[in-house]
Amino acid sequence: MWENMRAIFEMFPEAVIAGAAIGSVCAMLGVFVILKRVVFIGIALSEVAACGIAAAIMCHIHPFLGATTLTLATVIVLSYPFENNRLPRDAVLGVVFVLASAASILIVAHSGFGLQDVKALLYGDLILASDADLSLILWIFIPVGVYLLTFLRPTLYTFLDRETARVLGLRVVLWELLYFFALGLAVSAASKVAGSLLVFCYLVVAPSTALLLSRKLWLVMIISTIAAVAATMGGLYVSFSRDLPTNQTIAATACVVLGGAVAISAIRRGLWFVLHVAQKR
Amino acid sequence: MTARTPNSEAIITCRNVSIAYGRQEVIHNASLDIPRGAFMPFVGPNGAGKTTLLRAILGLIRPRRGEIVTPFGTVRPGYVPQHGTIDPLYPVSLRQIIAMGLYPQLGWWRRAAKKLKRSVQEALDAFGLGDHADKTFSELSGGMKQKAMLARAFVSRAEVFIMDEPTSQLDEKSEKEVFAHLLRLSRDEGKTVLMAVHGMHEVLELPPQVCLVEHGRVRLAETSDVFAMAKGGR
Repeated sequence: MWENMRAIFEMFPEAVIAGAAIGSVCAMLGVFVILKRVVFIGIALSEVAACGIAAAIMCHIHPFLGATTLTLATVIVLSYPFENNRLPRDAVLGVVFVLASAASILIVAHSGFGLQDVKALLYGDLILASDADLSLILWIFIPVGVYLLTFLRPTLYTFLDRETARVLGLRVVLWELLYFFALGLAVSAASKVAGSLLVFCYLVVAPSTALLLSRKLWLVMIISTIAAVAATMGGLYVSFSRDLPTNQTIAATACVVLGGAVAISAIRRGLWFVLHVAQKR
Repeated sequence: MTARTPNSEAIITCRNVSIAYGRQEVIHNASLDIPRGAFMPFVGPNGAGKTTLLRAILGLIRPRRGEIVTPFGTVRPGYVPQHGTIDPLYPVSLRQIIAMGLYPQLGWWRRAAKKLKRSVQEALDAFGLGDHADKTFSELSGGMKQKAMLARAFVSRAEVFIMDEPTSQLDEKSEKEVFAHLLRLSRDEGKTVLMAVHGMHEVLELPPQVCLVEHGRVRLAETSDVFAMAKGGR
């Protein structure tokens, strides 16, 4: 096992570091994605980023620039408080997802690439991460991680109770916009390297694991990060050992970790119930 | 209209305020002066516009016409919303929820000093929540959730408290205690208390005047007159 792990570190150091960076920061951002009940935003933004990459390819500009521009524009639209509107935010996210998925293929349809080439261009594979990809990831993800940890309090209060937060003097629109900007940046940078499935997995599966295991926010964020990094390392190992596709193997490993958390949570509840009944008797 | 209190300096002023949701106007041309230290129940039937008016005073709704002058740009009020606005999914303890009330003092980066941590504990104890401090919101009963909202408002030691049906989930004993506490704050410490209540019976010791909100019309009324009207079947 250690031989294989060492081989992975030696052969694909960029994939290991990029995976750990994307996993840990997306897992922390994802805690709020779940708590704010906007799970679909992860996959919708990934598709928007892919659409931006497609547009960038056709316009001969850097893919990250295309992905970021379109993702941040979408984020501005999505930060509108849809809770007060007749159309729920989830419905808007659904429309964004459909539009972006269709547009990303349509934009490059006449480019001369085959469908598989187009998919490879739009959705990355972690194992193929290059030096340039890694430096882009670190340039984006370190500031995003620092932002989230520094402004955790206003972000939490804004999402926890928007109305009271406003009364207390928080600029809720600004804090919401900042969070979604950070999310948009992270997703657009990660999508090209890790692909939409893996980004979505980090945003949803790892935080879900953590929320099952703890009821303290700081602990949830730590567990979420650990779960994402563990799934990345475990997935890379299995993928390397069994010659399986990397992104999908990491995603499946994350789900196995989640399964473990479900089991632990069920055992814990069972034990609590038994102890509670014994105490009553 | 100016309410009568020992200190007549107005802390909140509404001038010709009209508020609308879409095309429907729910508050019509309301003018009101609320003096510092007033204890002012907003009474009226369901859907009369009490919540809307309080939310406009808080700055959460912009009036269509008129002007509302408050000191809330510099001095933050203590606020209790009508319904529990906290999603029980959040992994935050009751202590953290109450500490939210200290945001005006702490801002986004300061750590709570011992004194502020003590005030959180005092607020918890004042509402009998001391033993539940580490529970999450989802683990609390409806009454406890409402007490948590009250504790969060009181921990800030604000000058003005705005509460929307603050005792709707409480039992009779807790309700009496809360109103007694609010009266004490107003009488002894000169705090201004505005609160929407559904029925007059909720407020045990009524002030001489109440703010009557009926079909979007707002006026200060003698409490005795409001009681007489209620008995007369209006």
